[in-house]
Amino acid sequence: MPHQCTDCGRGFDDGSKEMLSGCPNCGGNKFQYQPEGADISETPDAEPPEPPGPDSTVARTVGKTAASVRDFVSGSAADGDRPAEQSHLDADQSADAQPSDPSHTSGSPSTEPDRTSATEDSAQASARGDVVEPDELPSDVPSASESEHQFRPVGADPDPPAEPDREDRPDLEELRAELNDQFESIKVLEPGQYELNLMELYDREEYIIALQEDGHYSIQVPETIRSE
Amino acid sequence: MGLLTNLKDSISRAASTLFSEEDPKRIGIYGPPNAGKTTLANRIARDWTGDAVGPESHVPHETRRARRKENVEIERDGKKVTIDIVDTPGVTTKVDYTEFLEHDMEKDDAVRRSREATEGVAEAMHWLREDVDGVIYVLDSATDPFTQVNTMLIGIIESQDLPVLILANKIDLEESSVQRIRNAYPQHETIPLSALEGDNMDEVYDKIAEYFG
Repeated sequence: MPHQCTDCGRGFDDGSKEMLSGCPNCGGNKFQYQPEGADISETPDAEPPEPPGPDSTVARTVGKTAASVRDFVSGSAADGDRPAEQSHLDADQSADAQPSDPSHTSGSPSTEPDRTSATEDSAQASARGDVVEPDELPSDVPSASESEHQFRPVGADPDPPAEPDREDRPDLEELRAELNDQFESIKVLEPGQYELNLMELYDREEYIIALQEDGHYSIQVPETIRSE
Repeated sequence: MGLLTNLKDSISRAASTLFSEEDPKRIGIYGPPNAGKTTLANRIARDWTGDAVGPESHVPHETRRARRKENVEIERDGKKVTIDIVDTPGVTTKVDYTEFLEHDMEKDDAVRRSREATEGVAEAMHWLREDVDGVIYVLDSATDPFTQVNTMLIGIIESQDLPVLILANKIDLEESSVQRIRNAYPQHETIPLSALEGDNMDEVYDKIAEYFG
């Protein structure tokens, strides 16, 4: 069953409409996607394009954190770094890959129609059939050629498959660097309203011992810095 | 000279091993605000020492300074496990005094509470880095565990290789779902409990002894 309710564990067919109004068993509204052939407890090599579900490795947990933090800060710093790294990796294909890099993210959804039609099951078919009649749909020809066009850089891109092999630490480092760039450890919006950068607070040697009314704060300086 | 240094090293190593065996492990109780951390800390402290750790409240950020209860001796199967419990302020990325105004608080008091809570979170994060040997991560099983703070903190704890016990608190509430927490953090064991009612505390103590003993 490709979808599983995270509350009661009930499974659903791919594209099942039952999920749209919440789990019929328990009313839960979070569903975990299980790619085809994947076991619920173990998904070793599967690399879901969406933010990964709760899997059993540290790397995935941190990866998920990275994804959610990226969403949260909606910063473009890390995304900006990637294309440069990619173009370094596939220098030969850089002429092809470079101009279409911005479409990198829109590229993978565009491959979806092909995959869906290949593995469509009855639930998907009914979900689609009930909403829109096939003849109401626009012709497939332009979208197919468009998807083919966008598919090339994605296929030539060696970066995503390399991602899961990384250790958890580099990911955590990236996440820290990204967060540190975003804002300081404690941002005073106005007296009584604060935003906290947990990674920065965790990372710093000294710690804040008193916030003052005017937005200043006192910190405790470690011995090593004080003596210099 | 080299011999002397080696000797000195091995003596200090032996001494530190000796001390680490004697020193009780410091176990930080972490989690989001209002998960029941202080209720749990008080429950453990009362069960094994007779004293409480600090006041509990339904108003978030009641605990704004880490509080420690030292030398809590827990007996399991004839064995004694001694730990120091550190009850920490609830960790969050935003503190807003207007939240406290809803709890019949004057603006000045709410602003002060907010400032103290922020200092408390800063302190708790600092302690996580240097001052704890293990973590009890408390979650309210009636609320959604898939949050940025939970994922980030558990990620940090994992990166530190600290032993961590995840507790699904408030199972006495009707909306409680322990499975939701198990699904969110399948790499860790999740123990259900109600710190308020004292439900399933025996298993909690078994696991504390197993993880931190």
